[in-house]
Amino acid sequence: MPSQANQPLPDGYQLQSYRIMKMLSCGGFSIVYLAHDENDQPVAIKEYLPSSLALRHEGDALPSISEENLATFRYGMKCFFEEGRALARLSHPNVVRVLNFFRANETVYLVMRYERGRTLQEYIQARKGAIKENFIRRVFTLALNGLREVHANKLLHLDLKPANIYIRNDGTPVLIDFGAARQTLVQGGFKLNPMYTPGFAPPEQYKNRELLGPWSDMYSVGASMFACIAGVAPQASDLRMEKDRYVAATQLFAGRYSEQLLETIDWCLQLDHLKRPQSAMALQKVLLRERDPEIARKKSFVLNLRGALSRLARH
Amino acid sequence: MKFSIYQESRVGGRRENQDRVAYCYSRDAVVMIVADGMGGHLHGEVAAQIAVQFIAEAFQREATPKLADPVRFLLDSITNAHFAILDYAEVRRLLETPRTTCVACVVQDGVAYWAHVGDSRLYLVRDGRVEMQTKDHSRVQMLVDLGRLREEAVGVHPERNKIFNCLGQMTPPKVELSRRALLRHGDTIVLCTDGFWGPLGAREIGERLASGDVMHGVPQLMDLAEARGGAERDNLSVVAMTWADEVAEAGSWISTLAMETNEKTTKLSDWGKAAGEAQSHLTDDEIERAIDEIRSAIRKHSG
Repeated sequence: MPSQANQPLPDGYQLQSYRIMKMLSCGGFSIVYLAHDENDQPVAIKEYLPSSLALRHEGDALPSISEENLATFRYGMKCFFEEGRALARLSHPNVVRVLNFFRANETVYLVMRYERGRTLQEYIQARKGAIKENFIRRVFTLALNGLREVHANKLLHLDLKPANIYIRNDGTPVLIDFGAARQTLVQGGFKLNPMYTPGFAPPEQYKNRELLGPWSDMYSVGASMFACIAGVAPQASDLRMEKDRYVAATQLFAGRYSEQLLETIDWCLQLDHLKRPQSAMALQKVLLRERDPEIARKKSFVLNLRGALSRLARH
Repeated sequence: MKFSIYQESRVGGRRENQDRVAYCYSRDAVVMIVADGMGGHLHGEVAAQIAVQFIAEAFQREATPKLADPVRFLLDSITNAHFAILDYAEVRRLLETPRTTCVACVVQDGVAYWAHVGDSRLYLVRDGRVEMQTKDHSRVQMLVDLGRLREEAVGVHPERNKIFNCLGQMTPPKVELSRRALLRHGDTIVLCTDGFWGPLGAREIGERLASGDVMHGVPQLMDLAEARGGAERDNLSVVAMTWADEVAEAGSWISTLAMETNEKTTKLSDWGKAAGEAQSHLTDDEIERAIDEIRSAIRKHSG
């Protein structure tokens, strides 16, 4: 099938009580618009419109969906509902706030607070990595606040990456795009098709999805911090499982960043989920601990000792 | 190998399900695991989840396609699951370590090996009778051993929940290992939590599973246990498998003969819904309901 971009709703289009101002972004799964509500306040509206299943032609509001694609289109809608459900329950300064959810034009729309700023991805591209240590520590410590809230609600983000961490103009981060969020921590949650970004997804997201947990998001946080420094994501974890070419951040960037920060990144990027930080709070504590070489050395000594003891215990 | 296997976990009358079940098989070996997270302790379900995942994962790593030493595997993986729970509690700085029971069984070369900690049980059913079973690490079992309590009274005793050996406790758990049990065609192995065996008892479980039809027999037993458990009934969970000769006639048997040596199949508690979900057709009503639900959540959490 030729890949054909969907036509966005035209500027000025009245979508219920919102007026479309312009398209902000267009992905394979959805289109995001800037719109104004009835009080003329800006909002971001995400429209469910998978281009492979539903095509909107110029001048139409309704997309055309073939009979054979209808079931799949509706199935994908469930993912969109998942995102809505996930976000609706979260009210936190570091998590994008959802304001409304409605059905129109034979599809569904998610209305979010409009934030001014740019994505961490854009920062990284502008600087080709080499983001300052203080910036990394501050942004991720705050982003982890948001993530703690996500996990406290028994949700996992599962698609954390620099493109999904939005930095407001005041420098505070906000987690966006919960399209992959799953209610994985409770039984009976939806099980949907895997969705991930190579380089940022942990190995258990490719297979062994039963092992997903807060530690999975920690891998993605580690990969995002790695990208801040390296300018690119680490080797994709499915390839790492075959032949691990990951070079420790402590080796790659020694001298340019504190040993403790680099160790923390390596810690997050462990392939074994049990060896990573097990919670956002555990990681946050380490990021908050300012470069104290004495603590770092003691910690790794204790870790080594524990490793040796558990090896002994196994024999 | 040829066998049929069934697992189910129900919440019972409780608010959440702290039981976890799993099975996993390679071409030449199968492992079944049941864990009952302890409600008196915070995050019992986390302890149960870690235990089940940890053992299933160890099996996936080590069954290539046979385990080098099934007894060693049970001892090591259960003990290490205990340490994984302690690590979890330490990293999260939990005031109290989450705790869980655990019973696991490996079948390889037609021989069953099992191990348990706490009061989740294994029954080996042969010809409609319980041939072998684990002995609970509980206070009431001690009373039975001392001759001060009848076996049948265990399931209803007020102190039946008190166990003295579990994963996540301060001292390493004592993992009790079984002897080797050579399986015969039609033997059924049942691993279950107290929410299941408590209201039923060994005799009834044996009788109902006499036919070896775990696919129908187990859900019926679950219904029965639930009905008897009343409003306060505990979570109830089972993994049951019936063993078949390689030459058994066609039926609902799983045959691992055609599996690759490095292939593994795993079912954890809430697996298996994905396939059904993918085919289900979202109706207009369901869409409206989902939207209503999201909107009311937005209203509830905004402000």
